[in-house]
Order: sequence, then structure tokens, then C-alpha cells
Amino acid sequence: MAVLSPQVVFTLFGLQITDTVVSTWVMMLLIIILAIIIKQFKPDLGEMIVESINSIVSSVMDEDKDVTKYLPILGTLGVFLLVANIFGIFPRMVSPTANINTTISLSIIVFFAVHVYGIKEKGLWGYLKDFANPIFILPLEIVSQFSRTLSLAVRLFGNILSTDLIVAIVFALIPFIAPLPLAALGMLTGVLQAYIFLVLASLYIASAVEIQEVEQERRELKKTIKESS
Amino acid sequence: MWQLDSPTLISVITIIVATVGIVIGCIVPAIMEGIAVQKALDGITRQPDAANDLRTTLLISMALLESTAIYSLLVILVLIFANPILDRFF
Repeated sequence: MAVLSPQVVFTLFGLQITDTVVSTWVMMLLIIILAIIIKQFKPDLGEMIVESINSIVSSVMDEDKDVTKYLPILGTLGVFLLVANIFGIFPRMVSPTANINTTISLSIIVFFAVHVYGIKEKGLWGYLKDFANPIFILPLEIVSQFSRTLSLAVRLFGNILSTDLIVAIVFALIPFIAPLPLAALGMLTGVLQAYIFLVLASLYIASAVEIQEVEQERRELKKTIKESS
Repeated sequence: MWQLDSPTLISVITIIVATVGIVIGCIVPAIMEGIAVQKALDGITRQPDAANDLRTTLLISMALLESTAIYSLLVILVLIFANPILDRFF
């Protein structure tokens, strides 16, 4: 039980502040300081980071599509997850993503972002119409919306927690040198999971936005057929 | 030997079920991931130009396949560390 639930560090106005929250605060501070330093002294590096996130997102979406408008949410997710997944290697810190509350809140953010971008792209009625096009696909679509949100959260949580647990178990057995390769493997898994979360989030946003183009092509085709006949 | 009280019996059954479950839950996704990697490597050796597309697709599908193993791991972690039936006795 003690492994799965976070430890309470201190109490603030009756709220229990756990070590996950403290780690997240430290991590936020670190990211903000790093961002300010990069902006002041190394603008090229910042440009490179933005470009790499942009290329990851555009490898999933269409090549000619302007992905810059999705960059604020996807880039924030990518940077946050990249730091959060490997944050457990710092002493006295835990990975914020090894707690299921963090990952569920992140996947709920992705869930709402998908619908907001979809409605923004094609309007409320057009977006709802794409859900039931043909009509028997509607229940499948609704189930898949919720199941993929859940699986997005549980996948990240399970991966990070399992690597942390393996390191802890090996550390309890052999506390000298032996946990090091496993910790390195955990860092690799963390980076890979951050990449996969980013790719899946952009895939979901792309699938919410993209059907409109097929529909638009179909309408234009219909119009040209009607005009020619 | 069979005169166990019920918390002990539940613990023993939980440990056996957890071991069998993690073994099966690891073997099947591992085989499937192996097949996926094999096919992707075949594709890369046949067409080295398509390596980037194949790598992205392979990583995504590996993550999706791996998540089934992670689900069974989560169920077993709950069974071992936070057993809901065993909690009734304490």
C-alpha cells in the first residue's frame, strides 16, 4: 500500500500536501528557471527545442498543415513529461507521473483539447455530425473516446511506476552499483513514454481535425458533379 | 496443512494468482512485440527509405502493445499491495 499511495509531507490549511505535489512544484520552478536562462542566453537552443517538438507533431499530422497553433499545449505536455518522467533520479524527489492523479489530469486535459480543437475547426454541428457518420458508429466512437483517455493515463502511470518499483526492489536486494543500469533503463523508458504521449495526443487532435478535410473534399466533389451534370 | 484461517488462505491464493497472471501477461505481449519488430525490420531492410515512417509507427504500436502488459501489472500490484478483499480483515 505504501508503494502505490504517495507520502504526506506536511499539512497546509487542512490540505495534505504529498511528495508528488512537492516534486511537481520543484520541477515547475526548475523548468521556469531553465526557460528564462535559455531565453536570455541561448535563444538558438530554445529555437531548436521548439523546432524538434514541431517536427514530431508534424510527422503525425499532415505535412502541409500548420501545426504551430497546436504547439502551446503539445509543447507544454512534451516538456513537462520529459522532465517529469526522469525526475525520480534526483535525490529525495519522486516522479510526478508515478502517481495516477497526475497522469489522469494530463489525459483529461488532452481529452478536452481534442474536442475544443475539433469544435473550433468545424463548428459544433459539423463536429457532432462526424461522430455519427454512418450512424451505427456512434456508440463505438463514444466508447473509444473514453477508453483511449483511460489508457493514455494508465499507460504512462504503469510504465513510470514499474521502472521506479524495479529500481527500488533491486536497491533493497543489492544496494551497490546494480540499480544503476536499471535506473538508466528507467530514464530511457521515461523519454520514450514522453515521446509516445506527445505523439498520441497529436494523433488524437489530428483525427479530430482531419475528418473535416475528407468531408470537405466529398462536398466539393459532389458540387462539381452537380455542376457538370 | 489445510487448517489455514481465511486471511492466510487469501494471501496464499493472491500470491499464486499474481505470479501466474504476471507470467501470462508478460509472455503474450512480448511475443506480439517480437513479431511487430520482426516485420518492421523486414520492411526496413527491404526499403531503407521508409525507415523513418516505419520507426514512428513501430514506436506507437509498441507502446499500444506494451500497455496490455502494463494493465496486468497494475492489476497485480493492486492485488499484492492494496488487496481489497484482504483489507476487510484488518
